[in-house]
Amino acid sequence: MPGVVRILDLVKNYELEAVTVRALRGVSLTVDEGDFLALMGPSGSGKSTLLNLLGCLDRPTSGNYYLGEEDVSEMEDDQLSEIRSKYLGFVFQSYNLLAQYTVVENIEVPLLYQDRRLSEETQRRCVELAELVGLGDRLDHRPMQLSGGQQQRVAIARALVNDPHLILADEPTGNLDSRTSDEIMHLLAKLNQAGKTIIMVTHETDIAAWARRVVRMRDGHIESDEPNPHPNGHIALVTRH
Amino acid sequence: MNSDSPLLVLWDKGSRLMVLALRSLWLHKLRASLSVLGIIIGTGAVISLMAFGEGSMHDALEDIKRQGATNIIVRSIKPPDDGSSQRRSFTVTYGLTYADFERFQMVSSVVGSVPMRIVDPQEIRRMQYMHRGRVVGTTAAYQNINKIQLVMGRFLVDADEEEGDGDDVGMRNVCVLGSDVAEALFPFESPLGQSVVLNKHLFVVVGVLAERMPTGAVGGSSVSAEEFNNDVYIPLRTCRGRYGERIYIRQSGARSGEQVELHQVTLTVSDMDKVRITGDAIRDLLERNHIKKDWGVTVPLDRLEAAERQKQRFTVLLVFIASISLFVGGIGIMNIMLATVTERTREIGIRRALGAKRRDITFQFLIEAIVQTSVGGLFGVLLGLGIVYGVPYAAEQFFNSHLPAKLHVMSIFLSLGVSICVGVLFGWYPAQRASRLDPIEALRHE
Ligand SMILES: Nc1ncnc2c1ncn2[C@@H]1O[C@H](COP(=O)(O)OP(=O)(O)OP(=O)(O)O)[C@@H](O)[C@H]1O
Ligand SMILES: [Mg+2]
Repeated sequence: MPGVVRILDLVKNYELEAVTVRALRGVSLTVDEGDFLALMGPSGSGKSTLLNLLGCLDRPTSGNYYLGEEDVSEMEDDQLSEIRSKYLGFVFQSYNLLAQYTVVENIEVPLLYQDRRLSEETQRRCVELAELVGLGDRLDHRPMQLSGGQQQRVAIARALVNDPHLILADEPTGNLDSRTSDEIMHLLAKLNQAGKTIIMVTHETDIAAWARRVVRMRDGHIESDEPNPHPNGHIALVTRH
Repeated sequence: MNSDSPLLVLWDKGSRLMVLALRSLWLHKLRASLSVLGIIIGTGAVISLMAFGEGSMHDALEDIKRQGATNIIVRSIKPPDDGSSQRRSFTVTYGLTYADFERFQMVSSVVGSVPMRIVDPQEIRRMQYMHRGRVVGTTAAYQNINKIQLVMGRFLVDADEEEGDGDDVGMRNVCVLGSDVAEALFPFESPLGQSVVLNKHLFVVVGVLAERMPTGAVGGSSVSAEEFNNDVYIPLRTCRGRYGERIYIRQSGARSGEQVELHQVTLTVSDMDKVRITGDAIRDLLERNHIKKDWGVTVPLDRLEAAERQKQRFTVLLVFIASISLFVGGIGIMNIMLATVTERTREIGIRRALGAKRRDITFQFLIEAIVQTSVGGLFGVLLGLGIVYGVPYAAEQFFNSHLPAKLHVMSIFLSLGVSICVGVLFGWYPAQRASRLDPIEALRHE
């Protein structure tokens, strides 16, 4: 079966006034279903640019991007929105919760943009997800009343609510201390074990150690692409059993 | 994934967004109320000015209904004291004469006429009971022309003007009582067939009137409002006989008097179109036959025109105030919405990343603008209601002036509709701007 993500010779240039910034200079990558990929590399190497393209938040200058069966590199804005709403979940470095909303309401947001009604059932699903990430007792709290780690858990629950094919995380532990980072990575590893495909950008090798595969970038190229035979979470989960 | 009816989906989203909008309004109460002030004033103005326009129109129509749209009312008016001959002379003679009354009959469009003599309020007695009221001498035609309703007995009839079986001069001493008079003099029994004393003469009660609404003041100062429930009606011929043509008033010791033949003549015109011309003809007639301006002609239909003008003035004022304040209100909304869009750029980025289409963002900010203007509109309606019910009351209490206001239910819906439109109109641009933001840039926004 084809990979969840297939990109072919992806190029992204930023046209500035004087110069053209070549953020991606022909990147090809296939990510299979159930994979957990860590994207590493020095600052400015194009990790976020690639992740934004994978997240259908931007369009490539050239090259192709197949998400599942669909070629999304040529899609219109509205179609991209629909792809994001159907197939993708985002986890950001700075959590990006909506301050006016409670935990449950934040988790519900992606459902507002699907062609489905909100119901008791969707409400229940949001509560279940809150419980899954360990916030069953904070359902009506607002982001301001939560710690960074808790906010990131809400963000993960939100990324799961539309049952996405692919979860994209840009430095999800970048704002957290190492203990909380471990908790978050546990959660992501658990999700991956349950079958979710995850692509995560990180600077830290001990965070990348949780992934099954590590891709390193430099100057808009993929420098190396190696499997991680002993991902952290796997062992942790195995030992726990 | 089953998909539901788009309308219901839209309703779900819309109601979430409305709750959000109301929540943030509540969070920024002061800011929100300042930005919708224009809307509040605008809708308040629409409601109250429509009510005042409607009220003056309604009042006029009611008045005309009571006075008769095809009627012309001619009254005697005491001319201003010119300070020369009257000083010495004992009695002032003025007003409409029987000759005038005859002349009115010559005007071809006049199909009915009722003469009236009105004797100033005096004592009406029966046994130990006493009531003060006007004595009105008139004819049977009075009943029709004023649409008189009786609760018992009959009104005056033509036969009452003929020589009767009465006393010395062969006058019929019959009377019809106004409702208050009947109540005061006959608290426990039926007045029919009983006698009352007027000016030392006994009159037999033949009928009692139903309660009558007073007529409003007509044409400014010339005629004041008229009350009817204290009146006693007697045949004109009897009135002339019993009271004479002169009426004496005691004023600071000296006896002065005035002589008036007829106080009022109400004319009925054959049809509505001829009322104005006939009014002019009557004025002309009186002008030629009277040296002094001791008469006044009132055409109730003129009141309609005055009321229409009044309503038009209110309408012009309404359109003026409403459009200015709604425009200012709209600008206020636009301003606050633009600020909101900038403030919430990051939120827009987040929503876009989570799958919101451009039109979802437009929809969200439009809903917010509409919620604001609608809430403003609702407060404006309350303000308007306060004005409609408060101002006439205050005018009555403190300035003793009558300011008619009649709430127009349509005006509530109209002004709420207008507020919503203002929300759409002025929320559109900020909402568009919000939707055009680039998701990545918006996400990076601090
Ligand atoms: N909107 C933009 N306009 C112009 N240049 C951009 C834009 N976004 C990114 N770039 C450039 O593209 C290159 C890659 O940036 P990118 O954000 O992908 O790096 P990164 O690998 O995520 O770095 P970091 O680890 O610091 O987050 C950089 O040189 C950056 O300056
Ligand atoms: Mg980055």
